Amino acid sequence: MILVVYIFFGMGIFFGILGNVGVLKFPDIYTRLQASSKCAVTSLISILLACMFLKGLSPMTGKILVITVFFLVSSPVASHIIARGAWERGTTPWRRKKSQ
Amino acid sequence: MDVLLKWKISRAIITAVYLIVGWILFTGTFSLFSIFLGIIFSFFIATLTYSIFIEKQEVARRDLIPRVYFIFIYLVILICKIYIASFKMVPAVIVGNINPRIVHFRTRLSSKFARVILANSITLTPGTLTLDLDEDHLVVHWLDAKTTHSHYAGRLIKGHFESWLKRIWV
Repeated sequence: MILVVYIFFGMGIFFGILGNVGVLKFPDIYTRLQASSKCAVTSLISILLACMFLKGLSPMTGKILVITVFFLVSSPVASHIIARGAWERGTTPWRRKKSQ
Repeated sequence: MDVLLKWKISRAIITAVYLIVGWILFTGTFSLFSIFLGIIFSFFIATLTYSIFIEKQEVARRDLIPRVYFIFIYLVILICKIYIASFKMVPAVIVGNINPRIVHFRTRLSSKFARVILANSITLTPGTLTLDLDEDHLVVHWLDAKTTHSHYAGRLIKGHFESWLKRIWV
C-alpha cells in the first residue's frame, strides 16, 4: 500500500514540475493556460489520491473526496474565465507555421 | 392546492435535501444534535434561496435529481481520462511539438447543468480548453489538433463523457 502512495506522490511532483516547464516554454496565452491549469489538476489529484490511500477507510477520506470534487468543479471555472476573457478580447491563438 | 405553490414547496425541499447531504459530508459525524441543527438550518436557508438554485422553468425531474451511482462511475472515468491525457501531454511539453487549433462543435445534452458539467470535463482533460459555451454550441481550444472537422472533433473530444452524462441527467 505504501508503494502506491509513493507512486502517486511522485506523479504529483512530476506533473507539477512539468506544468511550470510548459508555462515557460509555450508561445501564447491559451497554450500556457493549458500547461499550467491541466498539469496542476493532475498533480493535485495525484496528491489527494495518495492522501486517500494513506488514510484508508475513515471519515477523513470522505472529506478528502469532497475536497477533490470541489476542486474538480472550481479549477476549470477559473481557467475557463481567463481563456474566455482572452477570447472575448479577440486574442488570436498561436498557430504552427506550415513549413514545419 | 395551487400548482405554483406546490412547485415552490418541492423546490425548497429539494434544495434542503442537497444542503443536508453537504452538511453531513462536511461534519462527518452522525450525532443527533449535529444532524438536528443541520436540518433546521438547511430548511431555513432553502426557504430563502430556493428560487436561485432551482429556476421556475426547470421542470424535468431528471434535471434536478441525478442518478447518484452513475456519478461515481463518471468520476472514475473522468480521472482515468485525465491521467491518460496527461501522459500524452508529457512529450508535447518537453519537445514543444504542438499544433493548437480552435474547433467548434455542438452537444446533444439538453439540461443546462449537464452542459456545464460537460464543459468542465473538457476543460479538466489536459489538451483541451473550453473557451465559450453558448446554448449547445461549444468553442474548444485543442492543443494537439488532429482534425478541424466539427463532427469528428466533437466525437474525439467529447468521447464517452456525453453518453455517460446522458445517463445521469439526460
